[in-house]
Amino acid sequence: MSPQGLVTGDSIDTLCALADLPLPVERRARLASMLSGLIAAANDLSGKMANAEYRTIVPITRFPER
Amino acid sequence: MGATDVLNMTISEAAAQVERRTLSPVELTDAMVHRIAAVNKALNAYITVCGEEARQVAQAAEKMIGAGYHLGPLHGIPVAIKDNIYTRGVRTTAGSKILADFVPAEDATVTARLKRAGAVIIGKTNLHEFAWGGTTDNPHYGTCRNPWNPERFPAGSSGGSGAAVAARTCLGALGTDTGGSIRLPSAVNGIVGIRPTIGRVSNHNVVPLAWTMDTVSPMTRTVEDCVLMFEAIAGYDLLDDHSAQVPVPDYRGELSRGVRGLRVGLIRDYSLAHVQPAVGNTIRAAIAALEALGIEVEEIAMPAIHGNISAQLTIESCEPSTYHREWLRERAADYGDDVRTLLELGEMYLATHYLQAQRYRSVLRKEFLEGFRRVDVFVTPTLPFTATPCGATEVVIENGQREDMLSAIMQFTGVPSLAGLPALSLPVGFDADGLPVGMQVIGRPFDEGTLFRVGHAYQGATNWHTRAPSV
Repeated sequence: MSPQGLVTGDSIDTLCALADLPLPVERRARLASMLSGLIAAANDLSGKMANAEYRTIVPITRFPER
Repeated sequence: MGATDVLNMTISEAAAQVERRTLSPVELTDAMVHRIAAVNKALNAYITVCGEEARQVAQAAEKMIGAGYHLGPLHGIPVAIKDNIYTRGVRTTAGSKILADFVPAEDATVTARLKRAGAVIIGKTNLHEFAWGGTTDNPHYGTCRNPWNPERFPAGSSGGSGAAVAARTCLGALGTDTGGSIRLPSAVNGIVGIRPTIGRVSNHNVVPLAWTMDTVSPMTRTVEDCVLMFEAIAGYDLLDDHSAQVPVPDYRGELSRGVRGLRVGLIRDYSLAHVQPAVGNTIRAAIAALEALGIEVEEIAMPAIHGNISAQLTIESCEPSTYHREWLRERAADYGDDVRTLLELGEMYLATHYLQAQRYRSVLRKEFLEGFRRVDVFVTPTLPFTATPCGATEVVIENGQREDMLSAIMQFTGVPSLAGLPALSLPVGFDADGLPVGMQVIGRPFDEGTLFRVGHAYQGATNWHTRAPSV
């Protein structure tokens, strides 16, 4: 699916309902357009990180003191 | 001594005169307050000016010196603080309407440490709202402008600190850097700024943007001045859970060691790729200047580097949206439209996207640590273009193609942020329009000292940092 069609106004409504985030209707279209690109890129990164060579990699949220 | 002479002094020069009692902290502070009055209407670099309080502190500093008490190189030196860093008794807005009336009862650790070192807090600087953006086009406190050309942006989010230092309204300033917010404004305003290793400088009582990437650090006109401020604020802080118990070296003592024999890495298909021609040419010239000082250059492949923009956008979206959850529901209309949009988007990623981005940081960091077996630092431009017009949301880097500003601006600065590495930006030239170009030098974890050595050696051999904007 092309990034442009990945997220629709309806998807935004669903995501907002799941997040318990009230969102004025007029903001849906812009968010859908931006989120399509962001999620496509995030999915691409997630796909790369699923490669076998990275299977032992853990998330960093705190860096070691060295 | 004329007012212009005082304004053009570095911290190092002013400190020597203050200690010898040939320059009064009151005279110095008054000169800066007058300078702010003269230029702030055009630049919007300050949200709050602490003129009277600063004068009182400067008078006290002068009395102490007269009585034989000298606290060190920041004694009586006027500095500014980004307005997302707590200052006791002085409002701290984070550039927002939501915190417009917030007056902290405590200082941030970095504020307290600067005060303890004798610095005079002269004002609170403008920023992108809640530090979530790179333009400092602030809807609540006005658009901050670049002293080299007020029609151009000062970058951000620490744009006010960058403009304030470049415009000679203070001798140094604190900024905060999550994905580039110190280094970007340092580059486009023609000054020096360092992002420290995560954990090196306390984040206690600093309004957060993204907890796993936030840092605080100085912005100055010279590397030597940056060291003087950095030494005052660096080191373990019990009040910050992410603070590192790593000894702080004698950076000043190491500055004069030179750079002969140091190895500099260029990342293949990245360090000099996809940049405006003037930026690329300027960085090549800067690398040649470093080679003339005795450094050796090596090209290194780093295949994982090309996922960095998505990882940064994902983390920098999810973490701020977590912090802002309640305000976004209760006071959404009080955000500027751009920040509100980013905060809304940050609630719409999947948890797996966020965790994959955090895993990516491990991969990126491993590649850098492997690279540091062969080189001492890596070099890139700080950003791939020079200052764009205020209000621009797109930028052209090459081939006439328009790109989204937010992604383009973090092309180089996001990488050390993700990998938890220190990175210094220093001025290395100008484009044909007289706009500054910055070079980013990336170092090993907790090795800010080598970055300072490289920057100081470069500034000893060049004079870009001595040029002043005509504002």
